Formats: sequence, C-alpha cells, structure tokens
Amino acid sequence: MANVISSGPLIEARGLTKHYDGFSLKEVNLSVGEGEVVGFVGQNGAGKSTTIKALLGVIGIDGGEASILGTLSDKLTRPSGAATKERIGVVFDAMSLPGHVKIADVERIHAHAYTTWDAQYFSKLIADLGLSVDKRVKDLSRGMGMKLSLACALAHHPQVLILDEATAGLDPMARDEALDRLRDFMAEPGRAILMSSHITSDLERIADRIVCIDDGRIVFDKPKDEITDEAGIARCRKADFERVAASGVVLSSDLRCLHHEYGIDLLVPDRFAFAKSFPEIPVDRMTIDDYMAFTLKGGVR
Amino acid sequence: MKRAFLIELTIFRDYGIQLLGLGLLVSVLVGVGMQTVLVAPSVITTMFFMMGVMAAAAYDEQNDWGRFRLTMPLSRRDVVLGRYGAIVVLGLSGMVIGLAAAFLVSGLAAMGVLPNNLAAKLVLDSEATYGMAFSTALCMFIGATVASVVAPVYFKLGQTKATQYLPTVIVLLFILPVIFLANSGLFDNGIPGLDAITSILELLNTSAGVTVICAVLVVLSAIALSVSAFVSLKLYESREL
Repeated sequence: MANVISSGPLIEARGLTKHYDGFSLKEVNLSVGEGEVVGFVGQNGAGKSTTIKALLGVIGIDGGEASILGTLSDKLTRPSGAATKERIGVVFDAMSLPGHVKIADVERIHAHAYTTWDAQYFSKLIADLGLSVDKRVKDLSRGMGMKLSLACALAHHPQVLILDEATAGLDPMARDEALDRLRDFMAEPGRAILMSSHITSDLERIADRIVCIDDGRIVFDKPKDEITDEAGIARCRKADFERVAASGVVLSSDLRCLHHEYGIDLLVPDRFAFAKSFPEIPVDRMTIDDYMAFTLKGGVR
Repeated sequence: MKRAFLIELTIFRDYGIQLLGLGLLVSVLVGVGMQTVLVAPSVITTMFFMMGVMAAAAYDEQNDWGRFRLTMPLSRRDVVLGRYGAIVVLGLSGMVIGLAAAFLVSGLAAMGVLPNNLAAKLVLDSEATYGMAFSTALCMFIGATVASVVAPVYFKLGQTKATQYLPTVIVLLFILPVIFLANSGLFDNGIPGLDAITSILELLNTSAGVTVICAVLVVLSAIALSVSAFVSLKLYESREL
C-alpha cells in the first residue's frame, strides 16, 4: 500500500492524561513526524508502555488527546479504526502470540488480519532469520521471538512502527540486524518510528529525537544530535564549577550537575563552545544515558 | 468479524484436535461403562462448548495476545463476535463429530463387525436415536449456557481474575437459588409447574415431540449465546488491556 504523505505528525499525544492507583500520566505531549525516528526513554515504571498503550487505544484515557495517522486513539479499537491499523506495525516486548502457535500459523494469523500482508516478504524475513515454519512460539528464544515479531510488524508494510522495548533480549549482532531493518524501513518516504528502549546505545544509532518520561511527565524532548553531538560533560573540580557558574557561559537555568567524591560533573549544552571558554577543564562527549542521569538525578546549583 | 473469527480458529486448531482426542476417550470410557454410544455426541458437545470458551480466555493472556490482537486491524466488536463464532463452530463441530462417531460405531455393530454381545448394545434403533438427539441437544444447551455465563466474565476480567471470581458467580447463579428454593417451603406442596414439565417430557415419547424439544433447545441456546455476546460486547468495550 502506498504510504499516505501527511502534513501533521503521524503519531501525536496532546495533554495525554491517565490515572491509576499510585501512578498517573500527566499531560504527556509527544509527536512523531514523517521521516522521524523518536526514541522514547525513561526508567522502569516511568510511563513509556502506558503512553504507548494509550496511543494504540488499548487503554482508555482520562484527558487530552492521542492519535496515530490522524485517527484518534479511542477510535482505533472501533470498527472505523481498522483501516488505520492496517498501516501500523507494533512490536511489544515479547512475541505476542500464544506459545503453542507454530510460525506457519503466525503467518496465517497475520494474513487473516492484514489485507496488505506480504507473504513473500515474510518468507524472506523468516528465511533470513533461519527459522523453520514448524517451530512453535514457545520454543523460540526471547531474541528469536523479538525478531519474529519485527518480521510480522514489517511484513504488512506499515507506515508507522511502534516498538516497545523491541530490541530488549537481542544480542549485539541481532540488534545490529534489527536496526538495519529499521533503517531500510525508514528509507521509504512518509514513514515514522516511535521506539521505546532501555538500550540507549541503539537509540544513539537510529533516533532523530529523544523524548524522556519520568513519573508520568515528559522531562525532555530534544533532537538526539543536541545531546550526543553538541552537549558534553565538563569534569570540574569544585573551584572550576564555581568559576563556570559565575561566568555565565552556561545559563543558570541550564546548570545541572552531578556531585562525585572527587569533583562535580557539569552538563554543558555546547561542549565545543565550553572547551573554547575553559580549555583547562576536560569535557567528554555526552551519551543519552548521561543526559538522562543529569536530567533525572542531577541537581541544580 | 470474519478476520477475528479466522484468527480464533487458527489459534484453536491444535487445541481442538487435543480436545477431540480427550472427548473421544471420555466418550469411550463413559460409553463402555453405560454400554451405549448415546453419550458420545453429548460428551463432546458439552466439552467443546465449555472448554473452548475457557481455553480461548487462557490464550488471550498468553504473551499478552489479547492486547496485541487489538493492535491488529480488528475492533473490539470483531474480537467478541469472532470469539462467539469460534465457540459455536467448535461446539457444533464437536456435536457433528460425536454424532458421526456414534453412527459409525452403531453402523459397525449393525454390520456384525463387532462381537455379538457388544453389537446388540451398540446398535442404535429408532428410539435410541431420538434419545441421542434429545441428550445431545440438552447437552448443547447446557454447554452453551455455561459458555454464555462465563464468556462475559472472561471478557471483563481476563482469565486469571475470572478464575478467582467464577466460582462465586457459579454459586450465586446456580447453587444458592436451588438451596434457597429448597429451604423456602415453596415446594412443600409440590414443585410449581411440575405438571407442565411432566407434560413437556411426555413429548419425548413421540418423534415429533423430540424434534420440537430439540428445536426449542437450539433456539434457547442461540438466545443464551446472543444475550451473552451482547453483554460481552458492552463489557469488552471498556476493558483496559
């Protein structure tokens, strides 16, 4: 099916609110535009899966709005949402079919479900994985199950992929292959991926933007390059830190630091500019994990 | 709905075969004990209706299949109607296979393939055939009723939670009313409507009567399943997965 080119975001949440006993999603705003891969990060229980479930309409919401491909999420599980779901590929954190089902039946089930199911492409993906169609889901390793899930999500040629911890359980080689598949997927115009993951090194390799959620709130939403290419960690002694803070090179509103026994790590939004201003202070490259640590655990001055 | 129905059948296929094997074994054991083939369709029909609905709910929870299914191009309505369609097809398949097995054994007995003393007991004469038709229809009604009661509970709560609550539901619906009525004194002067029931049962003495009662049981089963499907639709609309 030809992808429909959309002017607005392909995936969007505006003020998404959902209350449970002891946990709430609080006015989550999130958007994934055409051609974008958005990495969705956060600690366990921060609200990533809840947000994804709300976007997919498998749970109701208490406030705000969510939509995928222009269809409101609460319509996705109604008869009118079926056509939109033909264009959505979903991978949860495990192979989501009963264990007794054989891979041949996995194919049948998807062929029944999707009018756009491409049996030939699926066979190719399965052959690449070296999986026998007689194998049962329960006999697959976690990694193989995830690969099969990804193959199922890709084989109906979706426009949007939503992956919830899809690379969890994969070894580094398999994660490489999975990321290659995702890059191939994104090579077609009009597509987008929302990908939650704890393995931020994967996101560093594929994501365009990183959205972090903590305790049900979005705490940052930044282009990945701003984090990994521009930002840095200044390894300061206490005196350095005071000097940097007083200089105004880092705005006091942006000043986030992590205190260690032997010094203070300081988040600097532009490590190259910082290195020019303070050549004597070592500045390291920032990873997404580091950025999360500064944002979630770091203190302000 | 067709998509959901076909998916259900694909999921059910292996279990259906297992269940059929079990049903035939139970039928043989009960049949040998009672020295009749009458029981085969009744046993298999009841098993297929009741076990089908329970197994389906269990599969929904395996690997979060129930949640993932809703990310496919299926609506909640499709899921519910597909499930009821699959339960009915499974139950009726059990009935057809049970009847075929009973007629096959009876046919073999009539052809003299089986030992004489066994053959005499297994041949279905006209009276036994009508008896089998009635017991099969009654067991279909029982199976469909149980499926109709438990399916909405499974749709609302899922299999794990429903397993905790269903014994209470069964006790409240089927056991407490009997205990209450038995101890209420209402039946001290005889069971009201017993005459009507007796006259209905007398219909079983005629082939036309058996046909009518079987038809009524089929209609009652369809009504029970339809009402149940309606309730399940309402409950599943708001289910959080």
